[in-house]
Amino acid sequence: MSAMSILALEELVKHFPTKRGVVRAVDGISLDIAAGDTLGLVGESGSGKTTTAQCVVGIYPPTSGRIVFEGVPIGMAFKQRSKELKRKIRIVFQDPGSSLNPKRTIKQILSVPLQVHGIGTRQDRLNLMNHLLEMVELPPADYLHKHPQAIGGGEKQMVAIARALATNPRFIVLDEPTSALDVSVQGKIINVLIRLREELGLTYLFITHDLSLMRNVATRVAIMYLGKLCEVARTAAFFRSPLHPYTRMLLSSIPVVTDEEEVLKPKKIVSQGEIPSPVDVPPGCSFHLRCPERLPICSEVDPEMTAHEDGRVVRCHLFNGSERAC
Amino acid sequence: MGDRLLDIKDLHVGFRVFEGNLRVLNGVQLDVKQGERVGLVGETGCGKTTTVKSILRVLPMPPAQITGGRIMYRERDILEMSRGAMTALRRHELTAVFQDPLQSLNPVFTIGTQLRDIVKDSAIGRGKRLTRRAVEARCIQALRETGMPDPERIMTNYPVQLSGGMRQRICIAEALSTNANLMLADEPTTNLDVTIQDQILRKLDQLVEDKGASVVMITHSMGVVRDMTQRVNIMYAGNIVETGPTRKLLKNPKHPYTQGLMASVPKLTGEGVSDGIAGRIPNYLEPPSGCRFHPRCPYQMSACSDEAPPFFDITDAHKVACYLYGGEK
Amino acid sequence: MEGEERLGDLRATLIQKRHGLARGWYKFSRNRLSVLGLIVLLIITMAAILAPYITPYPGHAKAYTNFQDAGKPPSLEHFFGTDRVGRDIFSRVIFGYRFSLTIGIVVLALGVAPGVILGLVTGYHQGTWIETVGMRITDIFLAVPPLVLALAITAMLTPNLMNQMMAIALVWWPWYSRLVFALASSLRNEYFVREAELTGASTLHIMFKEILPNCLAPVLTKMTLDMGIVILLGATLSFIGLGVQPPKPGLGTMVAEGAKRLPGEWWGTIFPALAIVVVILAFNLVGDGLRDVFAVEEV
Repeated sequence: MSAMSILALEELVKHFPTKRGVVRAVDGISLDIAAGDTLGLVGESGSGKTTTAQCVVGIYPPTSGRIVFEGVPIGMAFKQRSKELKRKIRIVFQDPGSSLNPKRTIKQILSVPLQVHGIGTRQDRLNLMNHLLEMVELPPADYLHKHPQAIGGGEKQMVAIARALATNPRFIVLDEPTSALDVSVQGKIINVLIRLREELGLTYLFITHDLSLMRNVATRVAIMYLGKLCEVARTAAFFRSPLHPYTRMLLSSIPVVTDEEEVLKPKKIVSQGEIPSPVDVPPGCSFHLRCPERLPICSEVDPEMTAHEDGRVVRCHLFNGSERAC
Repeated sequence: MGDRLLDIKDLHVGFRVFEGNLRVLNGVQLDVKQGERVGLVGETGCGKTTTVKSILRVLPMPPAQITGGRIMYRERDILEMSRGAMTALRRHELTAVFQDPLQSLNPVFTIGTQLRDIVKDSAIGRGKRLTRRAVEARCIQALRETGMPDPERIMTNYPVQLSGGMRQRICIAEALSTNANLMLADEPTTNLDVTIQDQILRKLDQLVEDKGASVVMITHSMGVVRDMTQRVNIMYAGNIVETGPTRKLLKNPKHPYTQGLMASVPKLTGEGVSDGIAGRIPNYLEPPSGCRFHPRCPYQMSACSDEAPPFFDITDAHKVACYLYGGEK
Repeated sequence: MEGEERLGDLRATLIQKRHGLARGWYKFSRNRLSVLGLIVLLIITMAAILAPYITPYPGHAKAYTNFQDAGKPPSLEHFFGTDRVGRDIFSRVIFGYRFSLTIGIVVLALGVAPGVILGLVTGYHQGTWIETVGMRITDIFLAVPPLVLALAITAMLTPNLMNQMMAIALVWWPWYSRLVFALASSLRNEYFVREAELTGASTLHIMFKEILPNCLAPVLTKMTLDMGIVILLGATLSFIGLGVQPPKPGLGTMVAEGAKRLPGEWWGTIFPALAIVVVILAFNLVGDGLRDVFAVEEV
């Protein structure tokens, strides 16, 4: 864990025992997030990205491994967490429709974190709420007394962000914050998030499946597949030269809108087969069944993470010095 | 590419609700030629699903009212057809794939049962009686064509036992098994992972090409429409605002809304995200007069609020409904 | 200023509520039968409240005998005829509605609140021992047929209106417990509840301020539909002699008395029975309408 790191995951594992077998949602990931960064966590279904976020925030305690925040281990469920911790780590959920209670007004919704954490007196709180709404560019007079149904999806998500900011946090987990929204609304929210990160010195864990969005938001990108990390790198380098075959498959599958972007995409890798379920993880490297460049060793041995230049890490036999096909 | 298969002329559809009348579709013009793949792009609430439901005539008619326009399918007006004629049309000519396969597939019947029903129904309608073996073979073939591994086993599965991608493949198999002429695909891959989406869209592309079918691909994703369609229609608040050859249009969008949309899409080139388009979609109870986009338009002129602009030609195939490109200014 | 602030809040809430009510009425009034049911209910309620002033023979609701007028069939002077001791059945029916409506209101007032609270607590704590204990208690009460349990209780105590109401209330609360349990246990997985938990809100806050408001609609609908059944249960108890005692004009009691005179003096039984049917039907129609009001519309 580096000195500047605000959150570190050390071999984080989260398994869910079910009747059909053990769901290996998160299967050993290690990550460092530096203060002020936006770490983009990308993956498809079954990748474990949402479960990772849920462990960070305390919805689940890890099965094994550590989560270290500001130097202190915090790997427990939220019920055991201190109020101070709950104040510092906040989350914005994906679906604004259900993250705001339809039977409460925005004022009531925003006042909950303020009251729980005893922030300010009653009069202070009103000012605070006004300030919060202004920070997300929603005029308070128009919004405080409305119910969520009366405002649009983008605005609801802004309220959710304002609610996350209410406790003056240091770290915000954003779980697909714009996936449910139209693209014409998404931009404003993303830009507000970026601005707030600068102004308030926040750190984000930004989860999404949209790589094009990630390109414009994240400072570092981490790709997950079936509970493990495939590749982690700084954004520009990542998109310029993706290494892991899964990463390249993902990038080559994105539908882009301009010719310039087409040129940037790696050569087309046609994905085959379905994504396996985390109950039934293939042996060896979990990606080998779909990998166009698999080697014999891939079906037997799970590769180790190896470090490359500029902080990049990759988990693949092609890049860790074992036998290579040319 | 042949003659016109579908031609929606000046379609107006409204919904009666407590607060009044929601005037959703405001004169939609859209056409599809035989063998063509046409996109219909728009955001939430623009009326694309209402348009699809109007074509299929599955709008719930008490709240919905069709207040004007015609939907011509090969010289016949769908809105004027009798029930029997419409059923025949749905059976033989039209087919649809929707966004959520879990809603399209009946959870208590096996895939086989559902697929066989569709095949039998369409064949009988065309006057052929297929033997059981023929029906089975047709079903297996349809599944195989969509790239399903092990179709025989899939026939015995229930929808819940399969992944989202496989379910959507089945819906596509169902849709294509009737050899219909026009497929309406309403956000068919929006719920799927991007690698699966890629697989399915390619398959769909190939199948449609093989059968010479026409497709109306409805989506909110500019990227999907760029890969999958030859022509695209951009829809806003119940109107088509721009239409033209897909690649050319996306490279050179003319309508301010299209320009705003294209600017909002995050790009791999990494130039940051635009602030989106200011404002909200209009309230259909009291939509803006004239061009419905004018309150949000950075180039708003006085003419825009008077009367809705007609289509002006940029090139022969590329048309824009915007006074920036014609009319008295 | 704080005062102004509260006023602004209040005004905004009232405006919303008024709009909500207007929309609710629109949805309700689209169903003609429900509106009919509502009108009937209003008439019955007004009649019951104003009974001493609007019935032709208010005194007949008490101990009154006039054997000269006994057993007279329906006529202009006695709309529903007279019973075997000469009392006007029409007036007694109107007074009888007082008992029925009281039973309905009191039973629900007594039974709904504890049921809802238990449902909330067990629903929120689903998967823990709290749920097990709470739901098993509920199950025990549900396992006994309502009539039998009410019978047993009233038989143990003195048969009168109050005890009858308590008995039925005791039998009724478990249904609300189960309903709210189902609602609360699915609501607890909603993001907004998760968010409140993660913020550190207290369990009480989550149960009563986040979950409960989302349960009210189905509970209200059920209460309306239940009124009819509770009234019927009350009438049944009275019918077998364990509820409203003669000479009081409980509807069920009247049906029992008149039954002895069937089929000859049919009016003694039929009219009170019809009165029961009408009020139950009215509640059911209103309840159906309410269900439409609360149903989420999709356009």
